Amino acid sequence: MPDIILSIMIFVPISTGLLLLLVPAGKEAARGVGLVVSVIVVLLSLKLFFSFSGAAATFEFAQKIPLIDSLGISYSLGVDGISLLVLMAAATLFPMVYLLFKSREKGYYSNLLIVQGAMIGAVCASDMVLFYIFWEVMLLPIFFMIGFYGGPNRLAATLKITIYTIAGSLLMLASIAYIGVAYHAQTGQWSFDMANLAQMSLSGSTATLAFIGFMIAFAIKIPLFPFHTWLPDAYTEAPTGATFVLSAIMAKIGIYAVIRFVVPVFAEGMTNYGLLLAYAGVIGMIYCGVTALAQKDFKRMLAFSSASHMGVIAIGIFCMNVQALTGTLYQVVAHATSTGVLFLLLGIIEERMETRNIEDLGGVAYKAPVFALFFAVAMLASVGLPGTSGFIGEFLIILGAVKFNVTIAVLTGTTLIVGVCYMLWMFQRVFFEKNNQKTETFQDLTLIETLTILPIIILIIFMGIFPQPFIQKITPAAEHHTARHQAASGSSVHLADNRVLQISDKQEKD
Amino acid sequence: MEQTATYLVYIPLLPLIGALVVGILHLATCRTNRLPEKLYGILGCIGPVLSFILALRVFFTLKGLAAEERVLTQELFTWFSVGELDVSMGFLADPLSSLMLIFVTLIGSLIHIYSIGYMAEDRNFGKFFAYMNLFLGSMLILVLGAGPVVMFVGWEGVGLCSYLLISYYSEDRDNVIAGNKAFIVNRIGDLGFVLGMSFLFWGIGADGFDFLSLKANAHNLTPALGITVCLLLFVGATGKSAQIPLYVWLPDAMAGPTPVSALIHAATMVTAGVYMVARFSFIYAHAPVAGAVVAWTGILTALLAAVFAMYQRDIKKILAYSTVSQLGYMFAGVGVAAYSAGIFHVFTHAFFKALLFLGAGSVIYALHHQQDIWKMGGLKEKMPITYKTMLIGALALAGCPPFSGFFSKDEILYSALATGHYGIWLVGVGVAAMTAYYTFRMIFVVFHGQPRDREAFNHAHEPSKVMTIPLIILAVGALFAGFLNLPGIFGGDLEVSHWLAPSLVEHHPHTSWFVELLAIIISIGAFALGFRAAYRKFGAGADEPSYTGFKQFGYRKFYVDEIYHYLIVAPYQLTGKAISYFIEPYITDGPVKLTSWLYKMAGAAFKLVQVGYVRVYAIYMVIGLSIMSLLLAQSLNL
Repeated sequence: MPDIILSIMIFVPISTGLLLLLVPAGKEAARGVGLVVSVIVVLLSLKLFFSFSGAAATFEFAQKIPLIDSLGISYSLGVDGISLLVLMAAATLFPMVYLLFKSREKGYYSNLLIVQGAMIGAVCASDMVLFYIFWEVMLLPIFFMIGFYGGPNRLAATLKITIYTIAGSLLMLASIAYIGVAYHAQTGQWSFDMANLAQMSLSGSTATLAFIGFMIAFAIKIPLFPFHTWLPDAYTEAPTGATFVLSAIMAKIGIYAVIRFVVPVFAEGMTNYGLLLAYAGVIGMIYCGVTALAQKDFKRMLAFSSASHMGVIAIGIFCMNVQALTGTLYQVVAHATSTGVLFLLLGIIEERMETRNIEDLGGVAYKAPVFALFFAVAMLASVGLPGTSGFIGEFLIILGAVKFNVTIAVLTGTTLIVGVCYMLWMFQRVFFEKNNQKTETFQDLTLIETLTILPIIILIIFMGIFPQPFIQKITPAAEHHTARHQAASGSSVHLADNRVLQISDKQEKD
Repeated sequence: MEQTATYLVYIPLLPLIGALVVGILHLATCRTNRLPEKLYGILGCIGPVLSFILALRVFFTLKGLAAEERVLTQELFTWFSVGELDVSMGFLADPLSSLMLIFVTLIGSLIHIYSIGYMAEDRNFGKFFAYMNLFLGSMLILVLGAGPVVMFVGWEGVGLCSYLLISYYSEDRDNVIAGNKAFIVNRIGDLGFVLGMSFLFWGIGADGFDFLSLKANAHNLTPALGITVCLLLFVGATGKSAQIPLYVWLPDAMAGPTPVSALIHAATMVTAGVYMVARFSFIYAHAPVAGAVVAWTGILTALLAAVFAMYQRDIKKILAYSTVSQLGYMFAGVGVAAYSAGIFHVFTHAFFKALLFLGAGSVIYALHHQQDIWKMGGLKEKMPITYKTMLIGALALAGCPPFSGFFSKDEILYSALATGHYGIWLVGVGVAAMTAYYTFRMIFVVFHGQPRDREAFNHAHEPSKVMTIPLIILAVGALFAGFLNLPGIFGGDLEVSHWLAPSLVEHHPHTSWFVELLAIIISIGAFALGFRAAYRKFGAGADEPSYTGFKQFGYRKFYVDEIYHYLIVAPYQLTGKAISYFIEPYITDGPVKLTSWLYKMAGAAFKLVQVGYVRVYAIYMVIGLSIMSLLLAQSLNL
């Protein structure tokens, strides 16, 4: 029965997490349970990945149970090429968190379990209301994790992320209601199923408002400039596990949600505001990248770095061609793995040396060569070096952006430069130069830690050399998606095409 | 027309496997028991040597085919395919790449062997060989890549290795900064490369994004797009091959171990830009405007770097600027569409410059890491093999007939003249004289005259055979490589140019033999002039000059580094600080802060009335009731 595989992946972690809260279990037991559940999810997701065909650009492993018939709300799940890789990121990376960090409270692990289930639910939901429910559920554990287990300024950070997120959620809820009503007005029926909603194309000023509502909600989560200001505080104050969840996976669900819910329904909005949003991505990328350079706190630097890369990933959505969109979907996993490993390794530094101040570190590479090697591979993937997963996505996004808009493309390309500036300078001060008292005694990764991270390091390189097995599962959906958007928005495609062709026009005059 | 050759993949793969094996061994043992260095040395050299043998096999296989059929390909798998874009992981060996293959693997192998001696006392011996193997593998991917994207893999891979090896002595901050600089400056170039590739793809890439398909479809590329692509790709070349305005990283790159300078920053990697332009000759040949930009950038870089080289006192810096300058010549060659002349200079330069660097390495090694030429002197007797081989290298670099550099440089200058680029030719001749001057300034100061540091001199001695034999082999190359491409006037038939012809789109210009002869005489004159000036000043040993006036200006490289720092680096850092300490907290985050502030204020305002005494609330109630009654009365018109 492959139909319920998604439900299992959603509800086993959530129910285990809730159960853990109720029973009096110790830290170690909680960690063990979390680990076992996360490994089960990994195994299920691998089974799902290999049996996913992707050829038809439709939902696979679909499951649908009507919930509220009168409003057309249903419990409907499914995976297609758009959600596959996001789902894989949400499903496969968690065991590392359980394996690497031991001394946490029971509630910490319980929240991790709940957030994982909810995120998988949000990615698989094909009903907009169901998505909203999972979306809200996945946010709560993050508040708790930052609020209970965070750093010294955790309360301010929690307050900020709460204000931001609630504002976003309310806007989204209003927009979802509007979409439901609009669908009812057009067809006389109630439905929140994406398969139905995608059939209509909304236009007019109310639709624009709803579009903006949706975009703000997701722009906060991604985050898109200028809605990113919660991120440095939240990432920095959050315990490593929560930072990992936020940066590696939850940000990608924001990206995913734009592609899944906003692009199909608001073709007009995307056509009108796509360029503006792409500029938001570019400005965010440069702004956060330049800011990362000035950070003294290692974690804050990585937070800005992550935000900078999310800008690039977002640009791929707005270019609306298959290359850029595929690049974005690929980069979702590439960035999840690279940034995830970076935050986890930083967590290890923080645990062992009790400092995150870059100036306090130095010479780590001599004391911990394996640690340094892993960090370097993840860093190089993050800056998009060919041979790592990071290159494929970034290249496809830049290539697609050239077709969309040359200015956007050139500015997007500067990520190649912006990224290495802060990364190399950090690498110099943390891993090279001379040892000091703090780093003198730094222990290299233990065997278990090495074996925990090694699969992801191998995956980063594998995905750089053999991306096609992944890409062939997502391109049909991406093609379908862009083709439908282009059909819905008509003229915008020709506009985009012209930008490259302008050059050829000029030459004919020469 | 093309044949498949299933062994092509092994050419880059063998050094890569070597890197993996040596790297893992080093990683597993570096903290506890170190493995014998010989083991690393042997493991490190196996890959390059086997690749060299395979490179020879490629060459002879191609030679056995008819000229226009000299193409070997191998497609491994579809790398990624999205919409119209279809990139396969494949390799292409044609006359152009086979020439590159041979000298890259030969010089690579020799420098690996030399390193066994040079790096003998290094505690990270294994790491060094892992990086060197990784470099060679990347370089071979660059050379063999069947399409621009695969080429870019090697392109960035060599950049990474360059960074790792420049920062090799990473405890010293300056070395790491030099490595960072190399990586970042190269990345600026790579942006051009990526954008150039993207434009090229949207122009003509839909029917296959590999060199053969692109070449077949090149006629569909509109001239304006062609120029755009050429200029963007050339931005990439200025980064990798250290041309104006991105040359600044190369002299600093001398912070790496000397064998690295010889292999990466002289013989192979830095010539990748020239190779790339030649590889894209099917586009550049139709974009003479872009070609002119390339040629002028090249020759002006040659001039500027030659000026700097005349005033440097660090032996490696002299050679580094000399490399920048020679790379400028190569771009002048490919810029005037004399692609084979440019590539031939890449070829000969690889021998004599690697030789000079390794020779300099022997000197530095013998003098315990002394690099200042004004602390050397009189080493001719102490180090006869190094002296003689370096002399051959110097004669080749300075363009003395019949050494290899003379023929290859002359071919470029002649091509410039014959295609009507008189300005480029004139500057080129001037630079030739300067080249002879700075080269022999170095030779005379280091090897002739009296020792300036008696203590170091007494300890100096010729290095072991593992270091001198590569020097001798390279000297043979530096001496004779030029004969491979003799022009008709010397009784040759431009064999290398003919060999390369099927890979390139170029037309050999024809002029009268009188012009050709005149050009040669003027070139020889330039050499003689420069040599004579150097001999008169330094031939009998000279005292360290005082660096004042223009000398100081030249020694400080016209303060270009400082200008870049104050115009680009410092403002960039300042922007980062400004955003993180001012713009982010007070402007971008302003609305959020304002919201929470308003909430607080509203709360405080309400707090004033919520005092908690029943009597006060009773008054509120009375006031409220009164107002309500009044309103009620009003609305009822009472």
